[in-house]
Amino acid sequence: MSATTTIIMTAPPSKSTIKLVPAQSHGEASSSQAQNQPPKSQKQMTKAERREQQERQRAAKAATKVAGPQLSGPNQNAAQAKKGAPPAASTSASVKKGGKGPDGKPTKETKETTSDDSARGLRIFSHFGLPKPPGPSKGDIHPAIIRLGLQFSEFKIAGANARCIATLTAFKTVIQDYVTPPNNTLSRHLLTHLSPQITHLVSARPMSVTMGNAIRELKLEISGSDIDLPEQDAKNLLCQKIDDYISERIIIADQVIQETAGTKIKDGDVILTYARSSVVEQVLVGAWDDGKQFSVLVVDSRPMLEGKKLLSVLSAMGIPCTYLLLPSIGSVITEVSTVLVGAHSLHSNGAVFSRAGTALVAMMAKQHSVPVVVCCETYKFAETIQLDSFTKNELAPAGDIFSSFPLTRSKDTLTLNKQPNLEILNPLYDLTPPSSITAVVTEVGVIPPSSISSIPLALGRTTL
Amino acid sequence: MPGLATMETNTSASVSPVVSFDICETYASFLKNEELSAPLAAILALSKLIETSDAGTMLELVKALNDGAGALKASTSNPISLNAGCELFIAFVTLLPHDSASFSDLKLELVRQGQKYAAEALTYRDKIANLALGFIKDDSVILTHSYSRVVMKTLLRAHERKRISVYVTEARPRGLGLRTYEELTAAGIPCTVVLDSAVSYVMDKVDFVLVGSEAVVESGGLINAVGSNQIAIIAQAANIPFYALAESYKFHRLFPLSQYDLPTHTSNILSFPLSPGGNVASPQTTGATKSAHEKSSNADYIRRMTPEQIACNPGVDYTRPDLITLVFSDVGSLTPEGVSQYVVGMFAG
Repeated sequence: MSATTTIIMTAPPSKSTIKLVPAQSHGEASSSQAQNQPPKSQKQMTKAERREQQERQRAAKAATKVAGPQLSGPNQNAAQAKKGAPPAASTSASVKKGGKGPDGKPTKETKETTSDDSARGLRIFSHFGLPKPPGPSKGDIHPAIIRLGLQFSEFKIAGANARCIATLTAFKTVIQDYVTPPNNTLSRHLLTHLSPQITHLVSARPMSVTMGNAIRELKLEISGSDIDLPEQDAKNLLCQKIDDYISERIIIADQVIQETAGTKIKDGDVILTYARSSVVEQVLVGAWDDGKQFSVLVVDSRPMLEGKKLLSVLSAMGIPCTYLLLPSIGSVITEVSTVLVGAHSLHSNGAVFSRAGTALVAMMAKQHSVPVVVCCETYKFAETIQLDSFTKNELAPAGDIFSSFPLTRSKDTLTLNKQPNLEILNPLYDLTPPSSITAVVTEVGVIPPSSISSIPLALGRTTL
Repeated sequence: MPGLATMETNTSASVSPVVSFDICETYASFLKNEELSAPLAAILALSKLIETSDAGTMLELVKALNDGAGALKASTSNPISLNAGCELFIAFVTLLPHDSASFSDLKLELVRQGQKYAAEALTYRDKIANLALGFIKDDSVILTHSYSRVVMKTLLRAHERKRISVYVTEARPRGLGLRTYEELTAAGIPCTVVLDSAVSYVMDKVDFVLVGSEAVVESGGLINAVGSNQIAIIAQAANIPFYALAESYKFHRLFPLSQYDLPTHTSNILSFPLSPGGNVASPQTTGATKSAHEKSSNADYIRRMTPEQIACNPGVDYTRPDLITLVFSDVGSLTPEGVSQYVVGMFAG
């Protein structure tokens, strides 16, 4: 083992040069150092020696960084295995990859130690993957989709409903601009044409359940479109179907939910809501317009602080509002009559996947016997079962980048995440267990969480 | 005949004195039949309304039905089970496809269906009794609450083959538990009346709890005479099964989030008196209390609540689905989750 090590570490300086390309001086120094002491494997090195090595590599890394993306070592390690790294970091990434291959085990170990120490926080969430700015697009991506991808990755469009509607609207443009190549049918080729567009959106930001359901319906419609229809008619029909979907499953569903949930709000109630749900906003505004007298507690949390937007809408209407952050919810929960929250998706076991923090609000409310009402359209129903917030989640882009949504400051102004021992973790969603939820208001009625799986039945179909 | 026509339109809109059809009266007359419960009587009353209605289109008919249902609801202080029946019938009229030659044929068909349903529904209690029989073991000690026809039928059926003994709660203020006591004793079933406040005292002696229902709601919860919730909570704490018996026409689309979300909860219930001297009592009552005081100075003297004080109390309460073990119904024995799946499927499909 050590023999191999010797060869690899001390032999052709070229190898170590490859490892640390632009910082030749450091590279020479390290190889000479390595020559002086018989190189040991990780376990044999003392702590001081390991630290020394890390320092060397860190300095080398700092030197190799050409520009921009502050995705530091651990991110690169975690990410590069899966996706192509963004162009700016690609040089160091590929260098590292090259370095890993021939140098074999010891090198990998040292690399991993470095990444270990600073990526220890992130390692457990490494299966989420990290959001990246959309890389160079492969294939024929429609400009509307590119624009949408950028808007998603910068969180200019956020929220399950908003994203779905934006996606479908963009797809309408794509469909209208699409021309069936000769010797091909629309119903088959359009699907293959749409695939890279969808992939591009997914790479910008992981797809939401709403987008997934909508796209699945769209694909179904496309594959079922009549071959004999002239192309423009087929395209118009598809666009019409998209409009119908948005109208039925989102817009009108929201109105039905507004009426139904509105009946649960009575004069003198104190309604607590978390972050910002478009449906809940509609419900509260609708109930106020109906003349009901109630007050609202808006609970918010960093880093997204979406509640501020809801607060401005509600107070503009004259609704008495109180704004607080999530940690102080314990002091106000005894005053609350009902908790109204929205959802990102609804699962077969009755669990609700929603903005991170919703689970805390729901559980706290349950403890104090406050009914928790989730307002959710049926198209958010996912046939999967989810038992925890951990197996499937999304991380907000790391670091200080997310001090405000949408991004208003340049990425260069951040300082926090250059520290090697600090990793910032921002899961965007969490799971509220069905035991904490009292009722789910959908457009097909008010349903207890244990019967969520009967929603497809209520809609008259076997699959959603 | 324009005169007759105006009279008819008047009746479907409101209870007017110049009437050939008064829905509230019809409902009351149906209720006189001991076998018929409120929802069934409502269904029969609404069928009668269709019979005597001169609506020419479906829209008019549905409007007339809704008006009739509204009139019925307004006439009673506890409209929940009546509502269940009305909603079931109106959903039947609107949701199910009907094919008939003409509109008057359709109306006749609807009336026929309504009466047929009511007749069949009378057999539901027997079905439920047979179903529940399997859960009653020999030598069971059963706790029941207030008076329920379907529970009576079940207990009498069980008594034919097995030995059972029954505790029944007094069920104040109406004291219907005493009626249960009389009927059971007459049938030869050993029965004892327990105070509403002694339920936790007796719970460890009981094998299971059996109650009837006014309505079963969409969450899978139960609406029944006040006191059922307490019994359910105590039963859960003592790990005793709590069974509810409900015919399928009592399944209701209501979803109360709490006790105070019930339609029967008014601002008067559990309200504090406005004047510092206690609830405003009529001179008669005050006089009676005073004289009663004078009559006896015993410490054992039993005081009674005044009617005003009783009026501040609820008549029904809501039992949460997680406290209920099973709901026995003519469609089978359902878990509370199964109830909501059934209701969602029935009303949304």
